Amino acid sequence: MFNDTVLKEIEGIKAKYPDRRSALLPSLYIAQREFGWLSQEAMTCVARSLNLPEAVVRGTASFYSMYKHRPAGRHVIQLCTNISCMILGAERLVDFLETRYGVPANGTSGDGRFSLVIMECIGACGTAPAMLVNTDFYDNLSEKRIEEILENYK
Amino acid sequence: MITLTINEREITLDKPMSVLDAAKKAGIKIPTLCHHEALKPYGGCRLCVVEVERMPKLQNACTLMAADGMVVTTESEEISRTRRGILEFLLINHPLDCPYCDKAGECELQDLVNKYGPTTGRYTEEKRKVPESHKDHILARNMERCVVCTRCVRMCNDVQGASAINVIGRGNRSRVEPFSSESFNCEYCGNCLTVCPVGAILSRLYIHSFRPWQIDKEVETVCSYCGVGCSLVVQVRDESIKRVIPRMGSGVNRGLLCSRGRFGYEYIHSEDRLRTPLVRKNGTLQQATWSEALDVVAAKLSAVKNAEGGASIAGIASPRCTNEDNYVFQRFMRTACGTNNIDSLSRTGFAAAQKYFEGLLGQGITANLLDGLKNSETILVLGDDPAAVNPVLGLSIREAARRGADVIVIGYAKGLEKFHTLQVIPRVFREAEVIEEILTGVFSDRGVRGDMPYVDKGLRELSGRISGKKTGIEGIDETVKTLLKSASTSIVLGMDIVQRSDGHRALFAVAGLTYLLEARLYLLSGRPNEQGLIDTGCVPDMLPGGRPVNVPDFRGKFEAVWKASVPDSEGLTLMEIIEGARNRSIKALYVMGDNPVRNIPGGSIVKEALGALDFLVVQDIFLSETAEMADVVLPALGWTEKAGTYTNLERRIQLLRKAVETSSGMEDWRILSELSRKMGVPANYSESEDVMRELARVSPLHRDLTYEEIAAGDALWPYNGEPLRGEMYEVPAIVDAARDYNADFYLAVDKPLFHSGTLSRRSRALMKICPEAAVRMGEAGAARLGLKEGDRVRLSTSAGSCEAPVSIDGTIRDNRVFLSGNFPGSGVYDLMNFSIDTVTKAPGTEGCEVKIEKIEGRG
Ligand code: SF4
Ligand code: SF4
Ligand code: SF4
Ligand code: FES
Repeated sequence: MFNDTVLKEIEGIKAKYPDRRSALLPSLYIAQREFGWLSQEAMTCVARSLNLPEAVVRGTASFYSMYKHRPAGRHVIQLCTNISCMILGAERLVDFLETRYGVPANGTSGDGRFSLVIMECIGACGTAPAMLVNTDFYDNLSEKRIEEILENYK
Repeated sequence: MITLTINEREITLDKPMSVLDAAKKAGIKIPTLCHHEALKPYGGCRLCVVEVERMPKLQNACTLMAADGMVVTTESEEISRTRRGILEFLLINHPLDCPYCDKAGECELQDLVNKYGPTTGRYTEEKRKVPESHKDHILARNMERCVVCTRCVRMCNDVQGASAINVIGRGNRSRVEPFSSESFNCEYCGNCLTVCPVGAILSRLYIHSFRPWQIDKEVETVCSYCGVGCSLVVQVRDESIKRVIPRMGSGVNRGLLCSRGRFGYEYIHSEDRLRTPLVRKNGTLQQATWSEALDVVAAKLSAVKNAEGGASIAGIASPRCTNEDNYVFQRFMRTACGTNNIDSLSRTGFAAAQKYFEGLLGQGITANLLDGLKNSETILVLGDDPAAVNPVLGLSIREAARRGADVIVIGYAKGLEKFHTLQVIPRVFREAEVIEEILTGVFSDRGVRGDMPYVDKGLRELSGRISGKKTGIEGIDETVKTLLKSASTSIVLGMDIVQRSDGHRALFAVAGLTYLLEARLYLLSGRPNEQGLIDTGCVPDMLPGGRPVNVPDFRGKFEAVWKASVPDSEGLTLMEIIEGARNRSIKALYVMGDNPVRNIPGGSIVKEALGALDFLVVQDIFLSETAEMADVVLPALGWTEKAGTYTNLERRIQLLRKAVETSSGMEDWRILSELSRKMGVPANYSESEDVMRELARVSPLHRDLTYEEIAAGDALWPYNGEPLRGEMYEVPAIVDAARDYNADFYLAVDKPLFHSGTLSRRSRALMKICPEAAVRMGEAGAARLGLKEGDRVRLSTSAGSCEAPVSIDGTIRDNRVFLSGNFPGSGVYDLMNFSIDTVTKAPGTEGCEVKIEKIEGRG
């Protein structure tokens, strides 16, 4: 079960809505933060703290592709390979991430440090290539810049 | 009034409804797929599209409300094209494995495609592949066939209230899964199975064993498991039950079933069924012919009667047997054996409570229809979990809660955990004081009602005695407030609180509330014919129809028909019979269709008592633990093998029909009438209907009742009969020095949803769902002993000990641990002693201290 701080955080979210089901999506993000991904246990914790049936929690979570439905590394890199990013070398960057950090596209590095998700446009075509590391946004990427950035994500 | 035109026909409606229902009313069929009559309109599949004048696009008939002046067309070229298109899309990912699918022949998709569908598909890509899942013991899932109509999910959520399954994923990868994605781990009602239009949810009990059109017989009958009396349909092939299904909209259950009713039928075909009579010779039970066995019984009972008098003989009847069986049983005991010592295991709860309430408030006080429960504003639940004891009745409470009723639970009811609006937790084993306090609260507002002077007097005395003494338990005041403002109240009483040595205190308080609030009272009944057993006279004090046996006038009427005399004084109740056997005042006992050795508290005492008898006859369908001790065992016929009637807990009499032929065993009533004849009291019936004819002639309650009337569903209380008024019971004395129950753990009786007495252990499916007794205990208790889920423990009480795995249940918050008695070996009753409530004669099971030790190295 979640610890008291997390429970309090969820209580805070619940308090914002007339219907506790409205607190489900934000609570799933919290569970993901606590457990690393939405495991059965994570979803059970959400179900208990919101007093919702487990199947309702799982059904809702599974609808959204931006939750982590599999175990992921400590940090999740989401790199765009759509047109603009591709033209400006995103695919080279994918190779670089694999050779330099051992993280394959849509996989996790052996040391559990990074997961790489290839994603569609993140609205940074003007400053491509671009990526998200967890929730932080970076653009104008190059191999060197990626190295510098990832230094901050141990 | 709404008048609309559908397919050029004018239709007038007296209440608002959808276009689909309006068309149906006029006999016009509109195809549907996501719609189901047991569920709310959904509007997901669009197969029900119709044209409506002045509406630009096709409309869903299932969600469109009929309006005055509407002009609707249900078939046209455009509509057909649309339906064909929808079906083509549905088939894109469908495996089209009809030749192999169990549903073929009764599949809604197959029928729709046959009528509206394309004959060829244009889709050439890869279809989605999802392997059929057999990870659950009961339900298989084939998600390639799923059309995502969500009928199953809506059934599970909105009707069953279990919320065990959901649509997982999205788009063409959507599929239905339980939370665990493997085992369902749910209430196993199978109601999702009923509504799935295709072969996506399948029952593993019969998968690939027959096709729907190979059924030779389809028989409508009543469930054999509990007092709700759900209607169901038994489908038979080659004299073997293939499956049990409900009929939508019919019976008290309106198409719903629970796990026992739907999946529990296999016991009928169990290998362990008794095939021939057995007679004890040289200490062992040996096969015998019917005439040999019946001669032994008749001779031995006659000998005991002649030597020691009828009062030394006793009979235990069965709440699983039909009214016909029980009627003939008491007639046989009263006339041929000359004894009124007739009772049943119902005395441990239902019969005791029933007698108390009728004594106080008059006959028929518990005759309330289940529909009344659904429509109540407030429901007070006491003493057991209705969703486990009487599951389909539990659904009515859930439905009421969904509609906004106040559901107040006194104690624990796990199946209502997500539905109750208030829970009041009494001190352990001291429920009576809470109900008394609620009653006093209500009485101080409502005051004397005046219709029943002796009840008013009792209420005045009681409230005078306890007013001002507050328990301080949370929720009592709120309960009183809720009850006082409620315009319609139902009280649902479970038998656990009857099983106290001062159980009558709680009963008086419940009776008082029923009286003051004019509430509907429902008694939970874990057996299918507890009420019928009482009404047909299988009680020591009443003849059929609830007429006191010690009133000569009443007795005389029965004697005239039976052409034999009936003893004039009341007989012994169940626990007194056991006691009598133990002290050798009872010499011979006749047990029909029950297993007292396993089903009465104080198992070892019962065993000792039966061991002391000179003669024990057991009539059953299995060699139960009780039958193993018998001198003669007579094989009976079971449910679906014979006709008869049951009276359910709302006192509705319903017809059971014969569905399968079997070569061994005889109807209980037939065995008894043979014996009666051999003992000099002829009782001539050639079929069960003859028994009903006699009952309808002698019992003032069943007057003129016929099978036709019963089959038509009209046999509702008080039939054509005359109920009696109540008599007075003393107001219970308050035990001022109430005991506190502070030991570490107390043993209590668990009533699992998936089992029923010792019968369900012969059902393979139910054994797969729930294979052994577990000790259900709260988190705090488990933590104190360092126990986790599945650890094996030894339970010891002063009466005995047994081993079981631990199951931790967060809803239990007191020092009770729950164990069931449904499995072979030792169960809860073997570990208990009992004390008898002097008023109700029910055994008290409170205060049984239990020591729990972890068994290391296993579990
Ligand atoms: S069997 Fe009943 S409880 Fe289980 S998933 Fe189906 S509808 Fe829900
Ligand atoms: S499993 Fe059956 S009832 Fe459930 S969504 Fe699929 S097709 Fe509909
Ligand atoms: S609720 Fe009772 S009568 Fe109905 S199906 Fe279940 S066990 Fe049978
Ligand atoms: S039946 Fe009307 S939309 Fe499915």
